[in-house]
Amino acid sequence: MEDAEFDRLLKVCRLKVPAKQREKLKKDTDDILRYFDKISEVKCDDVDPAFHSIDIPGQYREDRQVKFEDVEGILKNTKTYRFFVIGPKI
Amino acid sequence: MKYIEEFLKKEKPSGYYNKLLEELGGLNRKFGAFNFINKQISAGFPMSVKDNICVKGMETTASSKILKGYIPPFSATVIKRLEKEGFSILGKTNMDEFGFGSFGINSETPAKNPFDETRVAGGSSSGAAIATAILKYHVAVAESTGGSIAAPASFCGVVGFTPTYGLISRYGLIDYSNSLDKIGFMSRSSEDIRTLMGKSIGKDPADTTSVDAVLNNVSKQRLVIVDELYSKIDKNIKSSFDNTVKKLSSAGFKIEHLSIPEIDYSIPVYYIISMAEASTNLAKFTGFKYGLKVDDFSKGYNDFFTEAREAFGEEAKRKILLGTFIRGASVRSKYYEKALKIRRAIKDKMSSFLKDSFVISPTMPVIAPTIKEAQSFTPLQNYSMDLLTIPSNLCGFPSISLPSDYLNGLPVGIQITGGQFEDMGLVSFGEEWEKSFKYNFKYNLGDL
Repeated sequence: MEDAEFDRLLKVCRLKVPAKQREKLKKDTDDILRYFDKISEVKCDDVDPAFHSIDIPGQYREDRQVKFEDVEGILKNTKTYRFFVIGPKI
Repeated sequence: MKYIEEFLKKEKPSGYYNKLLEELGGLNRKFGAFNFINKQISAGFPMSVKDNICVKGMETTASSKILKGYIPPFSATVIKRLEKEGFSILGKTNMDEFGFGSFGINSETPAKNPFDETRVAGGSSSGAAIATAILKYHVAVAESTGGSIAAPASFCGVVGFTPTYGLISRYGLIDYSNSLDKIGFMSRSSEDIRTLMGKSIGKDPADTTSVDAVLNNVSKQRLVIVDELYSKIDKNIKSSFDNTVKKLSSAGFKIEHLSIPEIDYSIPVYYIISMAEASTNLAKFTGFKYGLKVDDFSKGYNDFFTEAREAFGEEAKRKILLGTFIRGASVRSKYYEKALKIRRAIKDKMSSFLKDSFVISPTMPVIAPTIKEAQSFTPLQNYSMDLLTIPSNLCGFPSISLPSDYLNGLPVGIQITGGQFEDMGLVSFGEEWEKSFKYNFKYNLGDL
């Protein structure tokens, strides 16, 4: 991977690392991707991908609309910053 | 031996739990089994919980700095089910950060092997295995993505059980890789695994991937050794494994060698899938909602998020980078989609001969390395240590790791893999094995 491409990847991932760690991670990334390239040897174009290890039919939850009554109560637990409302962390 | 049943029958002296906690504190400092010990425990059968499984009111960090201070307001389904059955939480066990590791050293407190503290305990459920090896009456709730139950169970000389994918609800588990994660158990006997499975499996409306299944106690007399795996084992392990196989053959099992060429690709396939899924799962840790909180709201979104993610360890960063890259539109079909197809091919091939046989192999290809050796391994060397545990995990097959030998005083294990939902057949295999092979433990904290 070119340096510029790796730096772009770091940015996309929202990761900022010191120069020494950047070098190590770049080398590891290159080595691991070369290793991953090994799978190109397998011929399996006509095989269906296995998104899961067991066959699970798609399941959806029913959307339910409920009225939340205590709006003022829930806001007591928050702070504000500029025009944002900040909830407590868990 | 049924430790759970024995414990329940025995009279406990007054102050039993206090004494247990006191002794455990000392050994915990030595081996690093627990991230958190529950000093409130005063009744019930002691159960430890891997630190990536949520327990209401107990700090749950998955051994990551980014989750420091996270106290879940709810318990995982498996924990609720077991608490209802009389199990009590002794504490949260150490692990590789988010499950990213095979040796238990990707943690603020590297875990140490109770048989030799200069050596690794295995990972990622390192603390679960140590706790099981040092406590007589105890079971561990652990989790496996690619071998995180079997590896530490083997290195620490305990029984490790990884169920069929979906049998135990993942609700309340901090995900590493959703299509691969399985909650399972460690104990000192297969009979205790049977008890735990009976009380924890089944469909959970909160986890859409959980399943209800009828578990048959299948018995198989044919054991298959996969040549591609056997050829990559260290020579000491191979010699020990050959002796174990001879014993099983004398006991009436039919042993066969088979070749599955696709299995040679299981390590890259597993890491491609797991990294792709891990990189999306880790995106929720933004320094805002869970655990670590960045307080400087004057920062822009990108800077705020980037600052929080500095708290990830190096392996987590590596997985985020690689996982994000291989999901990219220009290479997705080359890596991620191809890996999913090969997973299907391996699963179909293994399923065909698991119909009338179990697969047998050593659990790990080497004896537990020293912590120093493990720290010097490159990422690829680390990943290659999972070669024997990945195939079953990749395909959602159940497996059991049983102590099978002691080399220079260090435990080694065998791994038996069954077809999907043949979990109880593996437990029965373990129960039979334990009639003729006695496990050694250096510590028996909490003995009665």
